[in-house]
Amino acid sequence: MNLFNIPANELLQHILNGLTLGAIYSLIALGYTMVYGILKFINFAHGEIFMLGAYSGYYLYYYLCTPDQGGSWVMISFILSVLFAMILSAVIGMLIERIAYRPLRRAPRLAPLLSAIGVSIILMNLAALAFGTEPKNFSYPFDNSVINMGTTSITPNQIMILAVGLIMMAGLKLFVDRTKLGKAMRATSQNQNVASLMGINVNVIISLTFAIGSALAAVAGVLIAMEYKVYPSMGQMAGLKAFIAAVVGGIGNISGAMIGGILLGLLETFGVVILGIPQGMKDTIAFSVLIIILLVKPSGILIRNIREKV
Amino acid sequence: MKRLLAILFSIMLLFTMACGKGDTVKIGFMGPMTGGDSNYGKLMSQAVKIAVEEFNAQGGVLGYNVELIIEDDQGSVEKGNPAIEKLAGIDKVYGIIGAVFSSVSLAIAPKAEASKIVMISPSSTHKDLPDKGEFIFRDVINDSMQAIVFAKYLYQVEKTNSVAILYVKNDYSQGLAMDFKTQFEKEGGKVVAMESGLKGDKDFKTQLTKIKGLSPKALYIPNYVEEIAQIIEQAKQLGITAKIYSADGFSNPKIFELAPKSANGIIFTQIAENRSQVKKDFITKYKTKFGEDPDIFALNSYDGARILMNAIKQAAEIKDKKLVIDRDKVRSIVAATKDFDGASGKITFTANGDLVANIGIWTSENNQYKQIKAYKLENDKIIEIK
Amino acid sequence: MTDFLMVLFIYIGIYSIASLGLNLIVGYTGLLSLCQAAFVAIGAYTTAIIMTSTGLSFWWVLPVAGITASLSGLLIGIPTLRLKGDYLAIATLGFGEIVKNLIINWDSVTKGPMGINGIPAVNLFGIKLTILDKLPWMLIIWGFVFITYYLVRRIVRSRIGRALEAIREDEIAASSMGINTAKYKIGAFITGSFFAGIAGGLYAAYTQAVAPNTFDFMMSVMILCMIVLGGLGRNIAAVAGAVIIVLAEFTPRLLGISNIIPPQLNQILFGLILVMMMIYRPQGLIGRKKINYAAIVKKEILNLEK
Repeated sequence: MNLFNIPANELLQHILNGLTLGAIYSLIALGYTMVYGILKFINFAHGEIFMLGAYSGYYLYYYLCTPDQGGSWVMISFILSVLFAMILSAVIGMLIERIAYRPLRRAPRLAPLLSAIGVSIILMNLAALAFGTEPKNFSYPFDNSVINMGTTSITPNQIMILAVGLIMMAGLKLFVDRTKLGKAMRATSQNQNVASLMGINVNVIISLTFAIGSALAAVAGVLIAMEYKVYPSMGQMAGLKAFIAAVVGGIGNISGAMIGGILLGLLETFGVVILGIPQGMKDTIAFSVLIIILLVKPSGILIRNIREKV
Repeated sequence: MKRLLAILFSIMLLFTMACGKGDTVKIGFMGPMTGGDSNYGKLMSQAVKIAVEEFNAQGGVLGYNVELIIEDDQGSVEKGNPAIEKLAGIDKVYGIIGAVFSSVSLAIAPKAEASKIVMISPSSTHKDLPDKGEFIFRDVINDSMQAIVFAKYLYQVEKTNSVAILYVKNDYSQGLAMDFKTQFEKEGGKVVAMESGLKGDKDFKTQLTKIKGLSPKALYIPNYVEEIAQIIEQAKQLGITAKIYSADGFSNPKIFELAPKSANGIIFTQIAENRSQVKKDFITKYKTKFGEDPDIFALNSYDGARILMNAIKQAAEIKDKKLVIDRDKVRSIVAATKDFDGASGKITFTANGDLVANIGIWTSENNQYKQIKAYKLENDKIIEIK
Repeated sequence: MTDFLMVLFIYIGIYSIASLGLNLIVGYTGLLSLCQAAFVAIGAYTTAIIMTSTGLSFWWVLPVAGITASLSGLLIGIPTLRLKGDYLAIATLGFGEIVKNLIINWDSVTKGPMGINGIPAVNLFGIKLTILDKLPWMLIIWGFVFITYYLVRRIVRSRIGRALEAIREDEIAASSMGINTAKYKIGAFITGSFFAGIAGGLYAAYTQAVAPNTFDFMMSVMILCMIVLGGLGRNIAAVAGAVIIVLAEFTPRLLGISNIIPPQLNQILFGLILVMMMIYRPQGLIGRKKINYAAIVKKEILNLEK
């Protein structure tokens, strides 16, 4: 098979690359989409929460063990580090909401957005000051040797990223659709005032939303840090791309985040290969996709068209 | 409005006070002190600090101390421009060790030249640099020499005839990649792929997948360590079996931290090894003072600083109880450097300020660097030096 | 020393022009544009490319730079007509990244990440002005600042300005009053980006070199901070904001502590400005006074009751 002049085995590899890249975007997009779903607000600082999750996981992990040794203690430390990262990120997420967003809940839309941009910049630079700007290596707790399937290769971490993404999405959907808290969240997202009249403590729900979204970002942070190292600006572009993914899939929609992410990853990988443009144009593809979606179908791929009534 | 003026005025007062210090001879260092490439800047500026301390301990410039002013360019041209304006306009330095990255050096050279500041770069290898002015020098091997020698080595000695190149779009990497390609094809070899990425990219899988499909025998990655780390790891993840080669950017030991499982066994080019006592003493001093080893660029920085300061001393005289330094004289003394006994080797500048040197073929083994061969380029042939 | 102060004034001037432009878009029309740096970049690169490839005089190239920038303003203005608030902001952010990305990758024209060096010196009545001729440059740039300020004031005090403010306050009401919102929104983008292009052209001609990473998102944020700090929608505020921010950016270097004070502190400052200003003083330091009608009426009633 020779599609677009790319031989079959190379094509498969590109698909795999695109899928894993997409899975990465999906993981981060879940948090974005949750917050937007509830608050109709783009948490610009989400990428930085992702980054801080990576750093927290990194420091605990390297404090508890020396990863190169291998063995079961390494695996245990890794899991502990991920949990620690999740908790810390959840706390940071809730704090940010309290300090920088809650005071602006009644303000015009411009204000919380600018505030979020400000928080994002502050967090990234604080991390650079505290941890140094040099990338840090985050070793795999397991043997990440490549698995060769014919001429196509994949690593265990890539498989894990895909698997974790799916599990998180499924888990989140179950939580939102089937549990009482999830119901409260859905109610708050539809109409905050009515929800509070029905006895839902809106502030708690909002904090919870931030907490969950941030915890998910932390998991993404650790997995991705292992692939691409930990450095202060890791949240910037990843955050933006994840936001694009969320918009593409339908912002506010959990499955949308997953689908949007995968789609974006594939578009980026294949766009460059098929169009024959230089690698650096990946970002242009992503942002062009964003602008096109915003123009053509701003509610995203999955959501049926809800025309805004005047 | 009044408040604004008051603030402005007090700030201006502060400046005049800050400028009022006198009586030292100022030289500058410019490099990435913060940002992803800060390790290069750190190692090199530390070397210059040692040189300045030694020099001052021996009496400085006719009794006046040399003061080192370190400016951070974050590895980028846009931060380098204000930095050179400060060094030239406010500090009025007599010489600069820097910049570190070729792109920055190329950008600031015209200003250094116009201000008659001798600029000795310890690491900018782009071939056009010394031509930018009479005051511009470098004590590091230049790219076209590196590329030519390496192309010949790869084809003739390792008998490799198919290479894929993955470079990053900046002056250093792109320059090396192009020069290597030209020479390698001249030798008779084939460059099967020429893929590129951007500085700061983390994911090179798409380029590497394309390269994998072409099954080259060798992969040449003339980049800085941040990108090299990602590339070699991902090459391994994709199951690429081609032998990997790099250039002097690989010589920063941070690579062993960033890619511990893949950094060994890579062959790269660098200036031929120097086994002099000067080098040994310097390394000992450096290690004692800073707790880490210097890299080759730090050795170059140390040498460049010493050449600069010696020239300043020789060009200085005391007139009416004030120290007067003739900038043109500093330049001509530096230009006449021949067989200077440096930590990086014997240093001689060519007529336009470039370095005369031999190229070594090195490898990384057990998280350390080892030279395996050294070559001299003469009459378009490489001659091995034992 | 005076040398460096003049350099500072030059940068303040250039940024003032860009921030006055952004003020039209964000402050007066209420369109959150996060891509002002992209327009500056387009102006700068147009100038750089034309001047290095042809020998055209800067004075002819500068208006071309402005016009090219405003064309790109049109390019982003039209698609974003229907977008509101957050979505508009993100779309402009995307546009900014696309522009930067295109500059970096289109190396045949823009020389990619390495930028264009050696832009020829500007010829003023036969005298060549380089980066070393600080005083003439300062005067030229501030000449442009005054022209820009005057032009923007004229726009703002006219029917156009009132239409823009109406759109900012309530777009739907404005359109039902018969204001062609599309026309004015696009007009705001075109004008705001035109001034940014001029700023970019001046920047390129002065520094005689351009590089893509200068014109990144942080620069857009910086310009945004200038108008937020000064006070959205007040022109002298945009200039004041430029003064404060540029000073903040350069002070460590001036005090000689730039290699000790990490550049991160600068950026943290911008972030803090954004957050603090939004929460505590959204009208800026010397922003417009919002007339509180409720308080006036209350006072009147109380007065009458006496």
